[in-house]
Amino acid sequence: MSDEMDEPAQDGRATIARLTAHVVPDLIARLTKSELGELEVRENGWRVRLRKPVAEAAAPATTPTASTRTPHPVMAPGAHAGHSGVGAPRDSGRGVVASPAVGYFSPRKGIEIGGALRSGDLLGHVDVLGVRHEVVSPVNGALRAFEVESGQAVEYGQPIARVEAEA
Amino acid sequence: MFSKVLIANRGEIALRIQRACAEMGIPSVVAYSEADRDSRAVQLADEAVCIGPAESRRSYLSASAILSAALVAGCDAIHPGYGFLSEDDTFAEMVRAHGLTFIGPPAEVLERFASKAGTRTLLGKHGLPTIQGSPMLRDDAHALAEAERIDYPVLIKPSAGGGGKGMRMVRSPRELQQAMTICRSEAMAAFHDDSLYLEKWLEDNRHVEVQVIVDRYGNGVHVGERDCSVQRRHQKIVEEARSPAMSDGQREALCEAAIKAVVEAGYENLGTLEFLLDRDGNFYFIEINCRIQVEHPITEMLSGIDLVTEQIRIAAGEPLGYSQQDVSLRGHAIEFRINAEDTAHDFRPQAGIVESYLPPGGPGVRMDSHLYSGYEVPPYYDSMLGKLVVWGSDRHEALARSRQALDEIVVDGIVTNLPLHRALVHHKTFLDGEFTTNLLDRVGSAAFLDAATAA
Repeated sequence: MSDEMDEPAQDGRATIARLTAHVVPDLIARLTKSELGELEVRENGWRVRLRKPVAEAAAPATTPTASTRTPHPVMAPGAHAGHSGVGAPRDSGRGVVASPAVGYFSPRKGIEIGGALRSGDLLGHVDVLGVRHEVVSPVNGALRAFEVESGQAVEYGQPIARVEAEA
Repeated sequence: MFSKVLIANRGEIALRIQRACAEMGIPSVVAYSEADRDSRAVQLADEAVCIGPAESRRSYLSASAILSAALVAGCDAIHPGYGFLSEDDTFAEMVRAHGLTFIGPPAEVLERFASKAGTRTLLGKHGLPTIQGSPMLRDDAHALAEAERIDYPVLIKPSAGGGGKGMRMVRSPRELQQAMTICRSEAMAAFHDDSLYLEKWLEDNRHVEVQVIVDRYGNGVHVGERDCSVQRRHQKIVEEARSPAMSDGQREALCEAAIKAVVEAGYENLGTLEFLLDRDGNFYFIEINCRIQVEHPITEMLSGIDLVTEQIRIAAGEPLGYSQQDVSLRGHAIEFRINAEDTAHDFRPQAGIVESYLPPGGPGVRMDSHLYSGYEVPPYYDSMLGKLVVWGSDRHEALARSRQALDEIVVDGIVTNLPLHRALVHHKTFLDGEFTTNLLDRVGSAAFLDAATAA
C-alpha cells in the first residue's frame, strides 16, 4: 500500500502532522477492511489518496510489480464468442490478449509491432482509477497488432492485442 | 439532473432502474459481469460495459471496476440497486471523491446509519421504541454475556447483508455457542464480513416496515407500511401492503413515528425502517435499509409514486415537492418473489436455461422480471427470477387476482418456488392475514407444501 500527498498548502507542517496522526491511519483502516483499491479525501486544498495493489490471487492477469509477475497469466478471459469469435486462441497459434480490467489502455513505451516477445512480457497497461493493471503476453512469440489505440477506453475482456506464438 | 447514469447491478433491478432512467430521459449504461452478457438489461441497454468476471467480488462488488466503468462511459451518477455495494459508505465516498453522485443517501448519512446498534440508539432518542440488542460481538464470551443480558430467546444476525444468511434464533447458551460458528461462516461466505450481533427474539412476531422518502432539505414523507411476515429461514417470500395485522390507528402511529424520527435524525433519500410487531400490537424498531428494496413495487402500486425516479430526483438535489397530505394509499398489493429454488429439495438454488417464460396479465398485475424464453440463469448470484406484484381495490380482490396470475405464469425448464406461492394463496392462515415470520419454519416448508397439495 502506498500513500501520496500533493497540492501542498501553506501552514503545511501542522496539517501534515494532523493528517499523519489521524486521517491517514483512519483511511488505511477503512481501505484495508474494504474491497476498494483506492481512497481519496480532499480537505482545505490537501488531497490524500491511498492505493492498494489489486489482490494478486483474485486477479490472475493483473500483477502489481514486475518481480512478482505471474509466469502464465490467464489468457484472454473475455476471448469467447461475443467478442473475438476465436474458440481456442492458443491452438490457433495466435493469442488474443484481453483486457484485465475496465479503464484506459496505454501500450508500453517503445513496443513494436512484429517485435519478439517472451511469455509474461509487458505489452502495456490498463489504467483503473490511477492503478495500472499490466497487460502481458500470454506466449513466446511476436506481437502482431494492437486492437485498441493508446488512451482508448477498454472494458473487461476486450481484445487489446494479438500475439502470434512461435512455432 | 444527471446526464448519464451507470447501473451497477443485475437482474430485475437493473431493468427497473433502466426503465426509470428512460422515463426521465436520462441515458443509462449497464455495468455487467461476464456471466450476464446475455442478460435482458444488457440487451436493452443504451450502452453496456463489461466490468469483470462472473465472481461478484471482481465485478458487482468491485468498487474500482464500477467507478472506472462510470468514468470511461462518461456517467455522472451511479445507481447501485440493492445488495452488492448499495449500502457501502466507503463506496459512496469514493464515488463522490471522483466527482460523481451516488444514487442513495450521501456517504456521511450511510456512515451515520451504518452501525445497527448506533442506529437503534439514535432513532430511540428520536422517539422510536427499539428492540433490545447487542453491539457487534467480539467473541463467544461477549455473545454469551449479551444474550444473558437481553434474555433468551435471541436472534443472531450478521452485520452485513440480508436474505436470512447467517441468521439463527437460539433459546439457550448451548444453542448460542453452536450457532455462532455456523453464522460466522455463513456471513463470511455471503458478505465477506463475519461480524454478528444479537437481537431479542419475539415469539410469533410479524415483520412490518415503513417506506420513507426524505430530501436534502429535510422534507420527508412516509409511503405507508409493508408487511413481510411470510418468510422462510428469515428470508422474505411474500410481502403485502397494507399490513393485514394492524388497525388504521396502529398503522398511522407507526408510520408517523418512523418518518418523524428519521427526518429528525438527518436521514436523506429513500429508506425503509424495519420493525417487529409483537402479539399485542407493540412495535419495535430493528434496523434501517438505506436503499431501494426488493419489495418496493407494492408501495408503488398503492401510492402511484415511482420510488426509483424519486430516488434519482432526490440524489440529484431536487426538493421532494409534496407533503404527507399529498400521499394517498389506495387498495391492497401483494408481491410474490419467484425464486429458482427446488421446494422439494430443501429449496436448493437452481441454475439453467429457462425454456419458456410467459408472464401473467390482467388488471392490477405487474411482473418485474429479467427472464425471457431461452435465458440461462447463471449459478453465481441470488436465485430471484422476478417478482409478481398484484393490486386489488381490497385484499380480497388482490388475493383473487393473485391466484389467477399464479395459475397463468409459466416458467419452464428451471425449477421454481411457484408451488409454494400457489399453496400459500389457498392457505387459511395466509388468507386470514395471520402469518408470523417463523410459521413456515415451524411447520416445515416441505410439510406445509405436502399438506397444501394433499388438500
